[in-house]
Amino acid sequence: MADALLKMNDITKSFPGVLALDKVKLSVLKGEIHGLVGENGAGKSTIIKVLAGVYKAEKGRITIDNQVLTEITPRNVHNEGIRFIHQELHLVQHFTVTESVFMGQELANLTGLSHRHMKEKAETFFVEALGTQIAGDTLIRDLGIAERKLVQIARALIDGAAKLVVFDEPTAPLSSGETKKLFAAITRLKQRGIAMIYVSHYLAEITNICDRVTVLRNGQNVRVFEEVFSNSTNAMISAMVGREIEALFPEKKHKVLDDLLKVVELKHTAFSNVSFNVKSGEIVGIAGLIGSGREELVDTLYGLKKPHKGSIFFEGQRSKFKAPKDAVAAGIVLVPRDRRHDGLVLEMSVSDNINLASLEDVSTAFIERRKDGLEKSGKVVEKLDIRPKDTLATANNLSGGNQQKVVLGRWLTRGAKLFILDEPTVGVDVGAKVEIYALIENLAADGAGVLVSSSDPVELVGLCDRILIMLRGEIITEVSTKNLGIDHLVALTTGGQAV
Amino acid sequence: MNVVSPIGRILDMLPITVFIILFFYLSINSTNFLSLPTFELILKQAVPTIILSLGLATVIIAGGDDVVSGGIDLSIPAVAIICAAIVANQVTNHQTSLLWGLSLAFVAAGIVGGLNAVLVVWLRMTPLLATLATSVAVVGVTKVITESRRIGISDPTIIFLRDGDIFDIAAGIVLTVFVALVFWHLVHRTKWGMNLQATGGSRDAAKVSGIPTDHFVVASFMLSALAGWITSSFVLARGSGSSPGSEETLLLEMVLATFLGAAFSPRRVVTLWGAVLGAVLVSALSVGFISIGVNVFWTGCIKGTLILLVVASAAAGRDR
Repeated sequence: MADALLKMNDITKSFPGVLALDKVKLSVLKGEIHGLVGENGAGKSTIIKVLAGVYKAEKGRITIDNQVLTEITPRNVHNEGIRFIHQELHLVQHFTVTESVFMGQELANLTGLSHRHMKEKAETFFVEALGTQIAGDTLIRDLGIAERKLVQIARALIDGAAKLVVFDEPTAPLSSGETKKLFAAITRLKQRGIAMIYVSHYLAEITNICDRVTVLRNGQNVRVFEEVFSNSTNAMISAMVGREIEALFPEKKHKVLDDLLKVVELKHTAFSNVSFNVKSGEIVGIAGLIGSGREELVDTLYGLKKPHKGSIFFEGQRSKFKAPKDAVAAGIVLVPRDRRHDGLVLEMSVSDNINLASLEDVSTAFIERRKDGLEKSGKVVEKLDIRPKDTLATANNLSGGNQQKVVLGRWLTRGAKLFILDEPTVGVDVGAKVEIYALIENLAADGAGVLVSSSDPVELVGLCDRILIMLRGEIITEVSTKNLGIDHLVALTTGGQAV
Repeated sequence: MNVVSPIGRILDMLPITVFIILFFYLSINSTNFLSLPTFELILKQAVPTIILSLGLATVIIAGGDDVVSGGIDLSIPAVAIICAAIVANQVTNHQTSLLWGLSLAFVAAGIVGGLNAVLVVWLRMTPLLATLATSVAVVGVTKVITESRRIGISDPTIIFLRDGDIFDIAAGIVLTVFVALVFWHLVHRTKWGMNLQATGGSRDAAKVSGIPTDHFVVASFMLSALAGWITSSFVLARGSGSSPGSEETLLLEMVLATFLGAAFSPRRVVTLWGAVLGAVLVSALSVGFISIGVNVFWTGCIKGTLILLVVASAAAGRDR
């Protein structure tokens, strides 16, 4: 076996109330592409941030080329030849390719910047190291996403000192063709002897390009695959998930009734040809990775984004939601993924947040009847068991789970017909999750349609009647959750299994 | 590839188109508008605006061109006015040397620049509000210094700036070209300048690239204060002293020139040479309107409308 370039031993890191990494080991050999996989919250990002010097581990040791790294700061890690290709592109739109590649490491002589030298060096690097041609004076905003990714890679490697490159979800925003272009570049880097850590949810990519794979789950090492084959996907998924889920979810009592929402060939920049329906009393899930178009689809249904093509029918009527107010008026409500910014006015009280969308019920001639408002919100607080049971508490001081209940409570007071829930339990502890799942089940049991967009496969299988699978902007299939294994769902969303 | 819609192209070209129409109108209605003496007059008139715009462009380049959340410094004209007041007060009322007056003014400019930097970088105030507040405060202090009266100055150096020539070209123009070249080299031709541009282009991208972004924002406010200090000498020269109330016109022209310059940039971003060109065009408009006898109040109104047009065009460009 080749020598280890990087060894991270017994790395332990905790955040208030959460043990994010529990004696995690990660070893990367010289010249290999090492896959790092795990579900959301498994600890992938945390260990990468420990390596980057962004987080300080409480315990553990990092060695690079058998030298212990005593002080782990971003600068020291950079000086050791470790580079990070972040998921976000971090480029200046109006900069040229040359300016972007040399950002923060410009070449200059006595009279100022050496524009020509930088341009030649950048263009040569693209050809020799990444196997592509990009003109140095092209503006970033005129490049496609794949080329921008290559610019980002060039910026990390142009100084020629990189020994290890960490790719964090590099293909998330890319189409299939663009992904191939990136892979060709990665393969060339490997040929130049550069080791890589490849973090991705797309297991097909992992089995395609990685030599070894480390699987994390709940902040712990689960398994290291010393050899990776195209059929290793299932074994990886089993290692990634694997928990008891039945206890989390309520018994499904809801009954599917009439047609409620019908979407026909909806198209937007982020997705195309999207058709599906949701019935009253039904819970439908949308599964898909970041960049699958799931978030944009939810926004479009709610009038936050304008579709380029296609139709939305609600209760049999063709509907054009130009803004969320049109959707709300029709009876569609959204519980947004970022509840702190988009779901709540954090400085306002629980009561004011609950009554925000139905002030007309507690107002007379533009003047709010505070007593009636408090009474009405008090009932919601009681019904949803929002804690503390204080309608005058400031929303900012509530836990994530209780904040989510406040957002749900606001829409309950309006008697909505279709609830769109975007990542309904993100950042919520297990106890609150169970309560929110029960609430969602009750909504469907009361006859409302529910559309749940989630990155948590367990949640989708446990809660929904059927799930729409989105991959790279398209609904590739629809599956019933009866007898649906989580492994199978993960395989579908990650492109790890043919539909 | 990004594809700009036909409407997008029209919006991009709108400020330039309006300017071309106005120039065409002025050329027809004012017989001497397109003559060499008028051109020299335009450049001389443009001197304070050019230097102020260099300062504002530097702050915008470092802070980003979003008018509300990006970089902006509305206090530069106020810095120029307080520095002019300090110099005139020292030289005329206290009979000190010009150098002493300029030194005191330099310290005052540094204090205002530092205050802006503290408000924006450490207290995280919106630059628009922070520098507006500073500007109001500085104008208030200026009134205290001058007791709201004009203070004349007859120092030979200041008179040379107004009437002197260097190589047969007006001294003000030559010195302004020199200042502009120094600013341009610093911002567009050095590593420091590239890092400044990266800071304003994308704060996150700059941070990820290891650029200490806060340092550059602080430096941009100090440079804009320096621009205000340099401008003060030309303000003194043009008015033969310090006059209360002249900061308002300067503010309007500075903002219009800087954002108009972005419309001339191939990348549609604020640049130093764009700001210089913008300042010359704004000055040409002022001179042109005077030459055809347009009331000065209407000139202000037209300039205000142009600012709206330029800023609206920039905002529309960002949304596309």
